[in-house]
Amino acid sequence: MLAIFLVYTAIAGGTPQVKPSQLKGHTGEVTVVGKVTGAVRGDARGAGLRFRLRDVKGSATGVLVAYKGSVPEMFRTGRDVSLRGRLRGATFVGIPGTLVTKCPSKYTPAKKS
Amino acid sequence: MPELGRAALIVCLGAAVYAVAAGGYASWTGRRRLQESAQNAILAAFLGAAVASVVLLTALLRKDFSFTYVWQHTSRELPTAYTFSSFWGGQEGSLLLWLLILTGFSSVAVLLGRRSAPTLLPWTVPILGGVTVFFAFMLVVISTPFATQVAPGDGQGLNPSLQNPYMLAHPPMLYLGFVGLTIPFAFAMGALAARRSDELWIVVTRRWTLVAWTFLGFGQLLGAHWAYVEVGWGGYFAWDPVENAALMPWLAATAFLHSVMIQEKRGMLKIWNVLLVVGAFALALFGTFLTRSGILSSIHSFTESSIGPWFLGFIGLVVAGSTALIVSRRPLLRARTRLESPVSREATFLYNNLLLVAFCLTILWGVAYPILTEALRGEPVTVGPPYYNFFLKAFGLPLLLLMGIGPLIAWRRASLRGLGRVFAWPLAIAVATGLVLVVLGAGSSIPGLVGYTFCAFVLASIGLEFARGTRARRAISGDSWLSAFAQLVGRNRRRYGGYVVHAAIVLLAIGVIGSSAYDTTKEQRLRAGDSMAIGDYTLTYRGATTERAANATELRALVDVERDGEALGTMQPGKNSYPAEQQVSNEAAIRSDRLNGEDLFLIAEQIGPRSVFLKVLVKPLVNLIWIAGFVFLAGSLIALWPDAREQRRLALRYGGREAEAVARA
Repeated sequence: MLAIFLVYTAIAGGTPQVKPSQLKGHTGEVTVVGKVTGAVRGDARGAGLRFRLRDVKGSATGVLVAYKGSVPEMFRTGRDVSLRGRLRGATFVGIPGTLVTKCPSKYTPAKKS
Repeated sequence: MPELGRAALIVCLGAAVYAVAAGGYASWTGRRRLQESAQNAILAAFLGAAVASVVLLTALLRKDFSFTYVWQHTSRELPTAYTFSSFWGGQEGSLLLWLLILTGFSSVAVLLGRRSAPTLLPWTVPILGGVTVFFAFMLVVISTPFATQVAPGDGQGLNPSLQNPYMLAHPPMLYLGFVGLTIPFAFAMGALAARRSDELWIVVTRRWTLVAWTFLGFGQLLGAHWAYVEVGWGGYFAWDPVENAALMPWLAATAFLHSVMIQEKRGMLKIWNVLLVVGAFALALFGTFLTRSGILSSIHSFTESSIGPWFLGFIGLVVAGSTALIVSRRPLLRARTRLESPVSREATFLYNNLLLVAFCLTILWGVAYPILTEALRGEPVTVGPPYYNFFLKAFGLPLLLLMGIGPLIAWRRASLRGLGRVFAWPLAIAVATGLVLVVLGAGSSIPGLVGYTFCAFVLASIGLEFARGTRARRAISGDSWLSAFAQLVGRNRRRYGGYVVHAAIVLLAIGVIGSSAYDTTKEQRLRAGDSMAIGDYTLTYRGATTERAANATELRALVDVERDGEALGTMQPGKNSYPAEQQVSNEAAIRSDRLNGEDLFLIAEQIGPRSVFLKVLVKPLVNLIWIAGFVFLAGSLIALWPDAREQRRLALRYGGREAEAVARA
């Protein structure tokens, strides 16, 4: 039974989850988790949204992201988000509808630091 | 006040430690007085937990911000109802609720068990005590709700997404379900420790399992409805780790509820049953761990906290300890009989169990996959909805079919001729339904078509069971159809309650299949005055309005809806912004059609006076999912209702003093 799961997950498989700094070298579909930095430009329902993601922890340089599709209400600079897609050249192109913001926590309000 | 709370928790911990130590020693040496003393310690632990809960609740309601917990989870303006629910809005309060329900359930189980299962109780008490020790220890040492501070002027408030009526009922229901699974687990282990090989533990815990399972099931449907109406992305279940965390113990408990019937009737599957009850309990703990540890990111992820390793340790201890006990008692767990034929009632129960457990394990594998891959490869790999949906179809459709076969097939060995006679009608109805559906165009989704054909088969076979039983009863008593029907259900509550639950699962399946296999989605930008068509509907954008409410600004898009030329009114999807919390919430608009159960679901983005971006979903039959919840509840209640006849049967079976007690309980 376990073998079936293993085979299935290996083939139809999961998507690896990476930090923006680890993106280089990944050519397939991945989920990138990072923090939105700098200005968010463009229109998600028009030509597409453009913003930079960097690692949630650490100061490594980020990656430029292009995304079209629905955008969660909580999305803004400084938020932690996850997005599925693949790297094309130097830009990470998101799959529509996969942009998800991560609440720092749902049941406890963010502590002011 | 906080001192009283802390002291009460220490009393609770002390009483639980005593129940373990004295109870274990007393059972080992057979000292009756000491056994009773350990039982009383369980009651004392409940008193401690109750006092601590009253202290916390009082502090919450008085908005006493010198309690750090109160300050973190409430504010001056927070309405009383949500102040009440902030009791379980945070980790410490949730743990306290666990402890309160656990000790409350344990006390009731001890009081009832004194009469119904006096020989099981001695070893059950230290096990109940052991679980209590863990939670009381967490609350006393690791995560106390009674930390204090210099009171600030106002609290931090409760997250707006938790300020709705669903959050009053959904979390406590899940907790009642999770914690309720402790009781059958403790009795199963207590029976093994006492070297009992009969089914008494199953008989005395049947209603506990049913109650826990009902709360867990209904609580999850409430959560699904909350997600559908309040979160408003157009779905109700997303295979989120925390949703899975509640689904897994429910699946294990469903398997358990079925397989114990085989042990009661035929004395088979003994090891399997104790393994299932351990599994269900461990998964309930794992569910609490997943939601609380922050190890996986989900919409439910809470603050990353220090309690994760403790929970993992405790789960490990529970699994290792129970496994060791089961292995050491293996000779007691030999089956009285063997499976005689792969085509029999027993066999369908076995297949049902294998499918349920396989599905449960697949979900567990999917949930654990990122943790495992991160440990092995340093990079978490997540599996998404396609993985789960594949296995939902692979295991769910055969399960649906079995639900129609199981109740009709004979015990022990079914003959082919008998099968033909029994299944002729349901098969004919299923095939006819399938053909009609193909004509209506349901062939666009093969799994959907197969699912609906199976649904028709199950409903037909359930209907047939009711009809046959009523006719037989009428032949005996000569009463009216209605009275014969009432007698039939009243005399076999467990069986017919079960069929009603099956009908609820079919309704659920119809709703899930309709809204996932036959839904339509369309996204489009509309200028004011423009129209779009989806299905039979025509939507026209009329413009935007803004209104100021007490704590939010409400922006709404006005969309006129027509179906086949008939005006159905204006729908108002939009956004609320909460300036105080700096949050925006999505306010989807839903139009439910009572006649065909179809929903028109509107999400509006980029709302402006001149244009709007609309996401429109047409979800056929989705309303049957919510109706299924109430049918499920009704079926569970029928199966739970005390049944004097059943008790007398059991009394004959278990003989002696205990049997009389079972009959009275």
